Amino acid sequence: MTAVDWQNLVQGVPSLLSGLLINLEILFGLIALGFAVGILIALVQVYSPRPLAALAVGYEWFFRGVPEMVLLMLIYFGLRQFQVRITPFVAAVIALGLRSSAYQSQIFRGAIQAVGRRQMMAALSVGMTRLQAIRHVVLPQALRLSIPPWSNEFSSVLKDTTLASAIGVIEVFKKARFIMGRNYALALPIFLVVALFFLFLTYAGNWALGALERRYRIPGFEAKGAGERF
Amino acid sequence: MGKRILVWVLPLFLLGLGAVGAEKYIVASDIPWAPFEWASPEGDYLGFDLDVMRCIAVLMGYEIEIRPVAFDSIIPAVVLGEVDIGASGFTITAKREEVVDFSNPYWLSNQAVLVRKDAAFKTLDDLFCCGHKIGAQRGTTGADWVQSNLVDKGVDVQLVLYETYPEAVLDLVNGRLDAVVQDEPASQQSISAYPELTVLDIIETNEYFGFLVASGDPKGLLRKINDGMYRLGLRYDLSLPAEGQWKVKFHIVPGSPWDYLVQAYFGPPLEKVEAAWKACIGTLYDETLTPEERVYEFAKCLAEKASG
Repeated sequence: MTAVDWQNLVQGVPSLLSGLLINLEILFGLIALGFAVGILIALVQVYSPRPLAALAVGYEWFFRGVPEMVLLMLIYFGLRQFQVRITPFVAAVIALGLRSSAYQSQIFRGAIQAVGRRQMMAALSVGMTRLQAIRHVVLPQALRLSIPPWSNEFSSVLKDTTLASAIGVIEVFKKARFIMGRNYALALPIFLVVALFFLFLTYAGNWALGALERRYRIPGFEAKGAGERF
Repeated sequence: MGKRILVWVLPLFLLGLGAVGAEKYIVASDIPWAPFEWASPEGDYLGFDLDVMRCIAVLMGYEIEIRPVAFDSIIPAVVLGEVDIGASGFTITAKREEVVDFSNPYWLSNQAVLVRKDAAFKTLDDLFCCGHKIGAQRGTTGADWVQSNLVDKGVDVQLVLYETYPEAVLDLVNGRLDAVVQDEPASQQSISAYPELTVLDIIETNEYFGFLVASGDPKGLLRKINDGMYRLGLRYDLSLPAEGQWKVKFHIVPGSPWDYLVQAYFGPPLEKVEAAWKACIGTLYDETLTPEERVYEFAKCLAEKASG
């Protein structure tokens, strides 16, 4: 690397960081969407009458089975056929968010089932409605249990945000390609910088989720294994 | 409670972001393709096409937003109304004219065949045989030329397509390709970045570049673009078709903004153009000057600082 290459690399970092901000915006949007829809799908799968539950299973099957790249194209270009105009950014949030909702629904479904049917029966027997029981008895426990598998989903979707570049979102990966196109010698170093960004974010995110898990742990009722060695 | 509300409000808020803001035209361009369009290391979009678009917008009194779009997606985006103008060194071809409308031509280009100096090719005949791998950018006239003049005619070469031009050049440098076919100005730019490359030969395709808009020009942009190019100093000497092919000779008014933009972008190294652009771009949006003054001072500043 020559002095000019180093200079270009340093000049490129603020531009990369502004791109990374877009990745983070996509991440928060898709996680929120996936969380809201995911919980709903999980509840429907566990508690609703069969036809409705079957629909939720179909939804989950579709969004877990179709490749992310295909989903992005379906949402962004496909909706255009029906005169629905959305920006690439919103299309990315929706496509990646719905995909994540299918995965998150399975995390929550497992956690809800782990709470057990007896607690629901006990709640009903003291006069709670089903919704009250879900809200006050089942979900507070299930959400705690879902943090460890959920942090896995977090790391996965964090990296998926770079796929948004395929439909024209100018995020960190696209910006790195611009820089590579401007100075070919930076092909290796610029992507190393991008890799470092993501390693840092994965670490920070998992650390925060670990802290959340410890903060809300109920002694004697935690998922075994967090930080323990056998 | 606040946290719970956020979970529901955030997706709605994000959906709201899709709403479109103020009236302006969106210019799609394939970045990077220096010197016509590229992103500086700081992330500014510059290049000849883009500054011509900016200057015309100032002269004709509208706003533009530059949006990077992959080359082979620009025409579909224009057709769908996703973007308004395609400004990316587009050759005016009959096939493209079927789906979009072009402005007057603004540049004459030929295809250059780029090879490594250490490769033992003396003529195009040495290259166009023996299963050699030739790279080109997908959707470009260079790729078309290789396909229709070599591959389709049974010449023993393999066409390798890339999404961006620099990736093809990188593969040529790394020895994964034997040649890259691409427009002359971009090829000259690669040689200055990569001294180990050279132009083996020029294929005289006589291609004219034009800016493009949706078919039928629903927003009435072509007149603005053509008027704008005229006011920037681009003139034509038209000679009527002799052998079926029409010929246009460009005549650039000396000392005009167009003249300065050509001087700034075709010659000086990219670093100098970038530094000059950063120093001069403020002039283009200086409200105390008339549009003509802004464009003239900007172009002049760019040419002087880039070649100084």
